[in-house]
Amino acid sequence: MLTSPAAAPAARREGAQAVAHRARRRALAVLVALAALVLVVLASLALGVRDIAPAEVWRALTAPVDGLMDHDVVLDQRLPRTVVGLVAGIALGCAGTVIQGVTRNPIADPGLLGLNSGASLAVVCAVWLFGITSPIGYVWFAFLGAAAAAAIVFSVGRGQPVRLALVGAAVTALITPLITLVLLRDQQAFNLYRFWSVGSLTGRGLDTVAWLWPFAVVGVVLAAVLAHRLTMLALGDDVATALGQRVGTTRALASVAIVLLAGTATSLAGPIALVGLVVPHAARRLVGTDYRWIMGIGALLGPVMLLTADVLGRLVLPRSELEAGVVAALLGAPVLVAVARGRTVAGA
Amino acid sequence: MTLLTTVADLRTARRRRQLLVVAGMVLVVLAAGTGALLVGAAGLTPGQAVAGVVGLGEPGDVFVVQRLRLPRIEAAVVVGAAFGLAGALFQSTLRNPLASPDILGISTGASLGAVTGMLVLGLSGVALSATAFTGAGVVALAIWLLAWRKGLHSIRFVLVGVGLAYLCSSLIAWSMARSQEHEAAAVLTWTVGSVSDIRGEQLTLVAAGALVLCVAVAALARTQGPLSLGDDNARALGVHVDAARVGTLLLAVALVALATSASGPVAFVALVAPAIARRLVNDGGAALTASAVTGAALTLLADVVGQHAVLGVPAPVGVVTGLVGAPYLLWLLATTEKRSR
Repeated sequence: MLTSPAAAPAARREGAQAVAHRARRRALAVLVALAALVLVVLASLALGVRDIAPAEVWRALTAPVDGLMDHDVVLDQRLPRTVVGLVAGIALGCAGTVIQGVTRNPIADPGLLGLNSGASLAVVCAVWLFGITSPIGYVWFAFLGAAAAAAIVFSVGRGQPVRLALVGAAVTALITPLITLVLLRDQQAFNLYRFWSVGSLTGRGLDTVAWLWPFAVVGVVLAAVLAHRLTMLALGDDVATALGQRVGTTRALASVAIVLLAGTATSLAGPIALVGLVVPHAARRLVGTDYRWIMGIGALLGPVMLLTADVLGRLVLPRSELEAGVVAALLGAPVLVAVARGRTVAGA
Repeated sequence: MTLLTTVADLRTARRRRQLLVVAGMVLVVLAAGTGALLVGAAGLTPGQAVAGVVGLGEPGDVFVVQRLRLPRIEAAVVVGAAFGLAGALFQSTLRNPLASPDILGISTGASLGAVTGMLVLGLSGVALSATAFTGAGVVALAIWLLAWRKGLHSIRFVLVGVGLAYLCSSLIAWSMARSQEHEAAAVLTWTVGSVSDIRGEQLTLVAAGALVLCVAVAALARTQGPLSLGDDNARALGVHVDAARVGTLLLAVALVALATSASGPVAFVALVAPAIARRLVNDGGAALTASAVTGAALTLLADVVGQHAVLGVPAPVGVVTGLVGAPYLLWLLATTEKRSR
């Protein structure tokens, strides 16, 4: 492009245009994602098995009347699950982005990497050994379990994109019989587990969120700080090192962020598969390869997908609900197949 | 002349080693089977057990042996052999030591089929096995169709399989949450894999099916050696590569579907048995017979361990094989990484 001096200004102008175009596109993406988030939050408050007029929903939020059925439904049921969906969705979106960035693997997410099963095992052990059944009690176990699983997966599957998914499958396969053993021993653990393992936004209330939000905030901040490093890491360890990055530090911080975020999401909503996988792909489509933007959009699209799944689950069945985890898997599986069929994976 | 004798010697040595491995594993099966026959809530002397097997002796002993213990042993052997053989076929055809129905999502498909049969249709026994068989077939077909893009790329095959496995297990979790407690417990046991309830007509059906499939595999077995040398070499040796591969995979899927439909997905036998057999036989071939016998030995041993509450509770066979197999898979993954670097 720079062969003749005369061509340089034209090239520069084209470059400037491309930059402006990209900036417009990114701004648009942020606006669309924000609008989608606002819409789905409103839908989550307004829609459900019980028909409540939007005006009544607004009154419930601004001037609640005690004992009025409609207001109680909004405040005690829809508001908590919306908040849980927001926090867990943000955490999953960011966790998925960090995992995919640090492993350079388009197939990575907390579920596929076995972190969810680690958290599950710790939770059933908490019920079995210590009789802990309150979410506030077992959140610490969920964190511990996710961290242990993450440690195994990352140390065995280091650096090999395709292999990480398999190591995750192997760790899940190792943990599943252990969970089964606990479930066979302990009726209480079994009953808690079978509702918990579906993944749902109900069941954990605002009090759990009040305990957990600091972890999510630390995780999100860490993820935001790491985003730029992840962009460089995408070029390969050698390039990132040459650009002055300590790759080992990035990996260590990233695993801390992953454990905090995935731990928060899993203890709030149960093991929700595929949200953390799909969201970064959608974000990448919208804003390109810069992880600062992918992270930002991912943090918006995570709750959009999770709350959409939750709202759809309320509306699909008459008189009954489909849990958010099931709907999210139904939405996410086709995307995973599409990614696997894409050209990038075969080359990996 | 000397070269010819050396080749002949090598062949004899190979065959002898294969025979040795197979015979060794058969001995393991017999020993574990004898143990399973003698040990249990009702302790039997060897004399009583033998009398029970042939149908003589105390009616109580005959009942324990013929109705409770023998079917369970036979089921473990048949199911284990089918998984072992299927795993060997998958691994040699896809040329990937990690290819197994657990990872490819076929087992989860069978589970989803069985859960549907159990909870929605209220089935049991042979009819339940039929729904599981259908589930495995549908998922295998879906993986096939979705992973097919200008040929069958094995990484794509695995990833699509993983995706479908997640979809199926999410639906299983949902139906467990929706069902009654005792139904959910039945689902849990089924999805882990258990050989304790296969008897009578069902056992006969599974054994007969496995036998037919084994004969078919034997007919195809001659292509396995050349195929393991790579497509081009196999073609040069006169093998119809694509036909052989499709045929082998179909047989492997049928074996897995058959075994899974009876016992549920017994984790990792299909992965681990061929790996052990190949290492023991060590001739670079697919070690089909040895894999089948090793699978039978592993499953029977695991069932004895699980049944007698070595782990604290009486555990289905799948729990034991999972606890043994998953660490092995992790070790395999860790060491292949080192070798490739």
